[in-house]
Amino acid sequence: MIQQKICLLGSFSVGKTSLIRRYVDSLFTEKYLTTVGVKIDKKQLEFNGKTHSLMIWDIAGEDDFTSIRTAYLRGMSGYIIVIDPTRPHSYETALSIHEMVKTTVGELPAVFSLNKADLKPTWQLETPQHQHLQQMGHPIVETSAKQNIGVETMFLKLVEKLGGQHG
Amino acid sequence: MDKLLANICASLNIAVFCQRTNGAFQLLSHTPDWLVFFLGQSVSMEAILTDAFPYLTCFIDDAEQHWQARNATPLSSGVWVEIDELGNEIAIEANALWVDGQAVLLLNNLGEKYRKEVSHLQQLREGLLTQEKLENEVQKRTLKIKQREEEIAIKLVSLTSYRDEETGAHVKRIGLYAAAMGKALGWDTQQIDDIRIAAPMHDIGKIGIPDRILLKKGKLTSTEFAIMKRHTEIGAKMLQDSHIPVLDMAADIALCHHEKWDGSGYPRGLIGEEIPVSARITAIVDIYDALVHERVYKKALSEAEALELMGSMTDSHLDAKLFEVFLGLLPVMRRIRQEVNEINELLVSY
Repeated sequence: MIQQKICLLGSFSVGKTSLIRRYVDSLFTEKYLTTVGVKIDKKQLEFNGKTHSLMIWDIAGEDDFTSIRTAYLRGMSGYIIVIDPTRPHSYETALSIHEMVKTTVGELPAVFSLNKADLKPTWQLETPQHQHLQQMGHPIVETSAKQNIGVETMFLKLVEKLGGQHG
Repeated sequence: MDKLLANICASLNIAVFCQRTNGAFQLLSHTPDWLVFFLGQSVSMEAILTDAFPYLTCFIDDAEQHWQARNATPLSSGVWVEIDELGNEIAIEANALWVDGQAVLLLNNLGEKYRKEVSHLQQLREGLLTQEKLENEVQKRTLKIKQREEEIAIKLVSLTSYRDEETGAHVKRIGLYAAAMGKALGWDTQQIDDIRIAAPMHDIGKIGIPDRILLKKGKLTSTEFAIMKRHTEIGAKMLQDSHIPVLDMAADIALCHHEKWDGSGYPRGLIGEEIPVSARITAIVDIYDALVHERVYKKALSEAEALELMGSMTDSHLDAKLFEVFLGLLPVMRRIRQEVNEINELLVSY
């Protein structure tokens, strides 16, 4: 079995916890409950004939009051950065977190999630911002924890990039 | 551990461990109920805490360093959340410290303290979300207002092209040349947008000049020329006092685009940098565009001839430094000339 630690990162209230709840427990709740600290969930999946045991770290979102401890990233195999495109500020936060991760632990497999796809008509991500994300070379997946869109794909894309490496 | 300390630990929901040589931890305090579920049978023996609490994998290296430094000040792990046997969340914090020659690790179930912290942060973050939404809404509405300002300004620009021979394409090119200059000078986006709209309005005051003078084919008499010169002040009066930045800039340009670097221009005889930079830019791009295009009363000069003539006007008429910037942008200016060359360009695209 391949054990891998992956982290979900992003601004507060972008839906990191909801994505994990949807993926691990097939649940969704509309109410926003802020995460304080770290929650760890486990999920096993089969990919390319191998069993992967994912340890999914749900890390409290960044805001004016809290920042991500770099120690959280130790032993991480890859990460997902979640953006809420209805909030342009979360895009800026995503970029700064991505830079912080690269500076702290170097280049690792990553996926960008454009979450809240159920609210797509109200997305405010401009074309240049979308192009900038694409130029980074990481997969971009449109997701909705509410409507279960792209959630499984998002994790699979990351596992695909992780390959057989252990955490 | 004596009874008093045991009671304190129980009251504070703290479990006290000391590190053994093999990296395992021995529980020194009584076992709090909440810990039993996570440690299972190892609760009475030495426990591998990183197995029971995977979160500690990101803390244990820092704790080791802390113990090696024999530091008696507690080092916090930060909070993490576990789920107990009933499916309830338990928030735990670890603290590493060196006490009496032993590496000690405290595990603290934060209980109510955590719930209060969550409630507090929840309120703050909901406040931030509301603030973000409001700022976003203000930005969107500001953009709409800006677009309306631009639409009004463009309508004004189109008025001038009905009165004299200047084509719509000419006024549009003036705006684009001027915006390119602003960008090269490192202006912010707002100023660049403003001059793109404002520069084409430089001759808007001609609307107040009688046709017999404005459209006269021959040379103007000194009286007629004096009237013609008034288009600068008429334009400025039309545009000023709106408190709309783009129209304020347009008023400056309308008033000062015939001022000359050596002070021999009109209407006020301003010298050098007394002339607003927006007007100095507009003077350069207006002259350039007028020289290289044909008019009913004159043939077009080649670009080389135009630039030579403009070069001879630096220091007397034109700002030499800005002219240098202009020369550096010639490939851009040529592209604008090529792209914007239809008489009806203005009416179609605006």
